[in-house]
Amino acid sequence: MSAIATRYEVVVGLEVHAQILTQSKMFCGCSTDYLTAPPNANTCPVCLGLPGSLPVINRRAVEATIRTALALNCEIPEFSKFDRKNYFYPDLPKGYQISQYDLPLSRNGHLEFDLNGEARRCGITRVHLEEDTGKLLHEGAIHEAQASLVNFNRAGVPLMEIVSEPDLRSADEAREYVMRLRAILQYIGVNHGDMESGQLRCDANVSLRPAGSAGLGTKVEVKNMNSFRAIHRAIEYEVERQTQVLESGGRLAQETRGWNDARGLTVSQRSKEYAEDYRYFPEPDLPPLDVSREWVAQIRAGLPELPAARRERFMTAFSLSPYDAALLTSSKTMAEFFEETVRLGAPAKTAANWILGDFSRLLNIDRKEIDDASIKPRHLQQLISLVDSGAITGKMAKQTFEAMYRAPDPGPALEAARGSTQISGDAELDRIVDQVIAENVKSVADFRAGKEQALKFLIGQGMKISRGRANPQRLDALLREKIQ
Amino acid sequence: MKLYQRTIRDLHQMLVDREISSVELTDAVLSQIDAVGDTTKAYLLVTRELALRQAQAADERLRANRDVRPLTGIPIALKDVLCVRDVVSTAGSKILRGFTPPYSATVVERLEGEGAVFLGKTNCDEFAMGSSNENSGYWPVRNPWSLDRVPGGSSGGSAAAVASGEAIAALGSDTGGSIRQPAALTGIVGLKPTYGRVSRYGLIAFASSLDQIGPMTRDVVDGALLLQAIAGHDPSDSTSSLRPVPDYLATLTDGVKGMRLGVPKEYFVAGMEPAVEQSIRDAIRLLEQQGASIEEVSLPHSDVALPAYYIIAPAEASSNLARYDGTRYGFQAGGGRNLIEEYMLTRQQGFGAEVKRRIMLGTYALSSGYYDAYYLQAQKVRTLIIEDFKQAFKKVDALLGATSPTAAFELGAKTQDPVAMYLNDIITIPANLGNVCGISVPCGLVDGLPIGLQVIAPGFGEAAALRVAYAFEAATQFHKARSPLMGAAA
Amino acid sequence: MPEPESELSSRQVEHVARLARLGITPEEVTRYRDQLRNILHHIEALNRADTSKVPATAHPLEERNVMREDRREPSLPAEAALRNAPSREDSYFKVKAIQE
Repeated sequence: MSAIATRYEVVVGLEVHAQILTQSKMFCGCSTDYLTAPPNANTCPVCLGLPGSLPVINRRAVEATIRTALALNCEIPEFSKFDRKNYFYPDLPKGYQISQYDLPLSRNGHLEFDLNGEARRCGITRVHLEEDTGKLLHEGAIHEAQASLVNFNRAGVPLMEIVSEPDLRSADEAREYVMRLRAILQYIGVNHGDMESGQLRCDANVSLRPAGSAGLGTKVEVKNMNSFRAIHRAIEYEVERQTQVLESGGRLAQETRGWNDARGLTVSQRSKEYAEDYRYFPEPDLPPLDVSREWVAQIRAGLPELPAARRERFMTAFSLSPYDAALLTSSKTMAEFFEETVRLGAPAKTAANWILGDFSRLLNIDRKEIDDASIKPRHLQQLISLVDSGAITGKMAKQTFEAMYRAPDPGPALEAARGSTQISGDAELDRIVDQVIAENVKSVADFRAGKEQALKFLIGQGMKISRGRANPQRLDALLREKIQ
Repeated sequence: MKLYQRTIRDLHQMLVDREISSVELTDAVLSQIDAVGDTTKAYLLVTRELALRQAQAADERLRANRDVRPLTGIPIALKDVLCVRDVVSTAGSKILRGFTPPYSATVVERLEGEGAVFLGKTNCDEFAMGSSNENSGYWPVRNPWSLDRVPGGSSGGSAAAVASGEAIAALGSDTGGSIRQPAALTGIVGLKPTYGRVSRYGLIAFASSLDQIGPMTRDVVDGALLLQAIAGHDPSDSTSSLRPVPDYLATLTDGVKGMRLGVPKEYFVAGMEPAVEQSIRDAIRLLEQQGASIEEVSLPHSDVALPAYYIIAPAEASSNLARYDGTRYGFQAGGGRNLIEEYMLTRQQGFGAEVKRRIMLGTYALSSGYYDAYYLQAQKVRTLIIEDFKQAFKKVDALLGATSPTAAFELGAKTQDPVAMYLNDIITIPANLGNVCGISVPCGLVDGLPIGLQVIAPGFGEAAALRVAYAFEAATQFHKARSPLMGAAA
Repeated sequence: MPEPESELSSRQVEHVARLARLGITPEEVTRYRDQLRNILHHIEALNRADTSKVPATAHPLEERNVMREDRREPSLPAEAALRNAPSREDSYFKVKAIQE
């Protein structure tokens, strides 16, 4: 990769499709719950594209798009309209998708993020609103499939397309951009950010150009990446592949390639015999939108604190490092978990360490979100206070945390840590203290002579003998009592 | 007079007076369909059982005197472009053969609410594309006045049904003249409301920015009654207007005294039959005698209305008709080796020649590199046409002209020449593009064939159009002429 | 931008038919080409109008911001949604494989 980095510059632009959290579909009253409903149960004449049916715009979807655009620092033009994008595909019931072409709801925004402590900024070309398509199920192996089955429950679910400028320069940047974008969407409550279920989808335009050149190389569109990891791997793969083609004197084809996660490579999706010609024209069934400044102001007023602002606040209010603050605010639920833990009394730095350390590690392994976990802020706060009060050791706390995490109810594990695991019997503690005094005559003398430092050493010895099971505060008290 | 020869208003009175029942009336109309249906071919489907069931329900409503409306118990025909729940609705196309919608058009629901009786689905040009009904995917309709002539189109089946006594009234749809032109050619009244006046929900779309549903009736009063029942805002159609619907009957008989009526000089087009022009001039004189002031006006962009229409309508149609791919409803060809081949076979076999011609024209006009020259230019021309009407309506209250430059032509006369066929609509198309309303009212017979006077009023000025048309009708006997198939009034 | 005046070619007719997913025979290509040329010839009249300062009309009405509230309405019963399907499997619409 180092050779590549000097010879070629990587140019990546992303198109992110995000379903909007609404009760009903974009243009009809059908439920948007397509994941659990039986096939074709959430359909009606409008989303099935039956002859004679007509669309009606869902206000909430429009407002969610404007909300998103504002969070991405976009301009909101005063006039917008819907257009028809015409193409044939069995998951597209009308033979056209209602989308936005030349007058989208927003344009010219940007998203700022950090990569390895360096500030980055990626332009947002536009955020527009459209309708999702149905879903195809292939009968048998996809390559030999004789037939596909079509389910239109997803057809007509409101969908935002967030198009970035080709401002991203590496797979790392691309991944970071999507992570920040996802955090924003979650923050403002327009999308849950679940990539695996397709709620959030990402396509990448990847090209290379000679380092220092300003032009754009041949653009390859990469599709079908449904995790952050896939985005990263697919772009890295594509950069490597394109480099090899160029290095060997070959020419790149402008094409669409699909990411195959299992095989770890991109595969050319049959280049179309005829170039797509979507024949966009204004949707005659939908009057345009006048987006008044009052309406925009009203939507802006309803925006919550965004990740960037929250991050700043975390750094100043809690003295967190920029890195920790960025990580904590990358997810709305994580940031809220953190704030609640601190509000309950936990020291900020300790809480951050727990959340970004053990907690995140376990969540990552299980591919879970923080709000899916049984551990709630009050549990974490109590555990931290046990450690801080010296009731349990850090090492014990780690074991306890994992036990709490595994249990459907973290309560018993926490109680167990609080009670039985600690050496509470005075007799045993007595014996340990006697042993420490007997084995460390010099330190005992030093302490008697007024060296406070010596006591710390003696406590450490006691902990060692008890294998960490003693309460250091009680050791401290007992040692003082016995020596003086 | 036979029951099937009468008007809505007459029959309503008879129903209310218990002189007749709706079942009797419906039987009489169904018998007339039995008698002449094979001759006119006006219907694609007669919903006999549904009609009798609705007639019985209407009779109960009349007996109980419960919410009796002007259309309660009146047998009405519906153009096949209107979706009726559980009734085959095909838009006259083989590609929708057997399609039974699980929902009804808003206008259909409104008529159901009125207690109207549905006789069936009337034949039309496929997807309402045509001016002669010869583009029906099933069979052509014949003009009840002369069986070797076309009834006009695309609402030719609705027109022929009303003109032959096979319906008391009918709904049609008008994208470029499809209500007014067949009304004129069959001697009935046809009204194209302003775009947005009547909900399009459930109207199988041809050109979404132009389509409107409207009444086709024996006289102007019936037109007002039927429009009153279907007009008004519908939350399911975002392009339906929120403007309140006036009481059309309230001003119907106010007369034209003091009204200013304009005669667009451009509407006397080349190729207009001299006898048609003479009848129109006579009609204008008659209205002047009734107290209207007449002045010549100009709609300078009339000559580019037809080309603009033949870009905008096919472009929208090419998109509206993309959904007919044989995978969710309607005809599926079978035999394709893969999906794309299957699509192509289905659409090749399912659509007729005119529909394919317009899909290709529209696809071409929207395609990359041609959009600005064709589609965008046509939309700009549309702005000019709207402006023409605005200017004219600053000076006058309504415009007068012919509906069609000729009386009904012979079947097959223009089928080989699409452009000659398109020219039929040259004086009806501007009203669709200009977003105004128009009504055709019988104004004479030329060689035994009816012709129509067109009254165009400003957007949402249906009351004015009806008022002028009624004044003309009240002063003439043309609307009382009956086609040979309907039979002379006894 | 290509000159709209330039005559429509058979290749363009084939391309347009393909875009519109219309199967078309070689004879039809010629016939449609000639008919469309004739129609387009008449449509050239559009250019007689001076539209240099004229906005396009895409929506004939003045209505704006026509929207519904985000409320669920009942869907069709699945059987009603599927009853017109030329081919189906269980509660799915069934279509031929997509790849060529």
